Amino acid sequence: MIYVQNRELVIPGQKLAEGKYTVKDGAYREGEEIFASVVGLAEVEENSIRVIPLDGRYIPKERDVVIGVVIDVHSWGWLVDINSPYTGNLLVSDYLQRKVDLAKEDLHRHLTISDVVALRVKLVDERKYVLLEGGGPGLGKLQGGRMIELSPMKIPRVKGKRGSMLKILQEIGGCRLFVGQNGRIVVWAKTPEKTAKIVEALRRIEREAHIPGLTDRIRLMLEDGRLKDEQTGKTDS
Amino acid sequence: MNRPEKLIVDGRRLDGRAPDEMRSLKIVAGPLQRADGSAYVELGNNKVLAAVYGPREMHPKHEAEPDHCILRCRYMMAPFSVEERKRPGPDRRSMEISKVIREALEPVLFLEYYPRAVIDVFVEVLQADAGTRTAGINAAAVALADAGIPMKDLVSSIAVGKVDGTVVLDLTKMEDQFGETDMPVAMIARRKEITLLQMDGHFTEEEFRHALDLAFRGCEKVYEAQRQALKEKYMVR
Repeated sequence: MIYVQNRELVIPGQKLAEGKYTVKDGAYREGEEIFASVVGLAEVEENSIRVIPLDGRYIPKERDVVIGVVIDVHSWGWLVDINSPYTGNLLVSDYLQRKVDLAKEDLHRHLTISDVVALRVKLVDERKYVLLEGGGPGLGKLQGGRMIELSPMKIPRVKGKRGSMLKILQEIGGCRLFVGQNGRIVVWAKTPEKTAKIVEALRRIEREAHIPGLTDRIRLMLEDGRLKDEQTGKTDS
Repeated sequence: MNRPEKLIVDGRRLDGRAPDEMRSLKIVAGPLQRADGSAYVELGNNKVLAAVYGPREMHPKHEAEPDHCILRCRYMMAPFSVEERKRPGPDRRSMEISKVIREALEPVLFLEYYPRAVIDVFVEVLQADAGTRTAGINAAAVALADAGIPMKDLVSSIAVGKVDGTVVLDLTKMEDQFGETDMPVAMIARRKEITLLQMDGHFTEEEFRHALDLAFRGCEKVYEAQRQALKEKYMVR
């Protein structure tokens, strides 16, 4: 028996269902009953129930791609802030993907404090000790562009279904984006004005993530901006 | 403040309320931009602001627990919140209230989800008129949910007491000062589980049962207002 509609806004403690459903994130079971544990949108599938949270911190999960900022350099590697309660640990060999003679190489040459770097979460143990790794398409040091932080819970909306929102942002907005699962996004656009427009669109996605029809609104917003640019002759082609 | 001759006249209290009537209650979720979660509560003349940060990295690190998250609460009265200026900074009373607020909230939080981390709750009383700890708990519970922290349910709180021999709900400063008994209660309204119960004064067993019954009913109203506040934050306008 289900007590909520799909995509209904629920509050912690609200009864979602009763019976043999698989309980996923954002909900908990007590005997036969299933309750919401966060403020969010209930998502009811055939045999499972979960709540998509509307706010919250990023908790690292294995295989997530995140954007980190180096906060310390050690002899074994780097400490990386990943916009989470837990700091990431990046070992030299995990980043460079080769054997490294620490006596000969200066780690500062590869990454130093305040560098922005795209990494994958390699391992998270039960104490939430986080190991990161580099090496892979798109991963590594990120240079240029502008980094912004959104609520990590809104990242799935920034990407959209099968990357639809990301495609709109990049194609109509005329920019390149790198999205980290931890709420950080790096925007590369040709002009500061374009960057500002994309940032505005991203902030709007963050604000309106729970309101249906967002993809169309963002498309209109970006197309409007592009039209105005063409009329004022601000095209960059 | 002088003691009025009578605190209850013709079955009505000095502010015109019936014994089982609450003061007006207003709750706003998320008034603060910088905090992870926040709430503002007005209970009669009480004005209380709560802010939540976290889960975040625990400092000092030696206080972190390897298997669960620490909840830290700080209750503070603004110097201008009472008639006579309150000396700012922690004192015996505010440290006690911080502790009981923490213990009232802890049972609903899934603290085991975030080992080694800390959740900070700040309760700032801007204007006091008796029942600030209950208003603080109400605000803190909404702020925690607003921060996206997983919780079993919201905690609702209200004070009951005895004034001129009558059991009353939600005491004002005058009733608290010149009445016989004050009993703040916090509970998980849906399950009727009590998470805070303090008492200053005396009740007979019968009065106590009646008072607790009033508190249950009061908490249910508070609970509804808390849920409404959280839903309103995300309402489409």
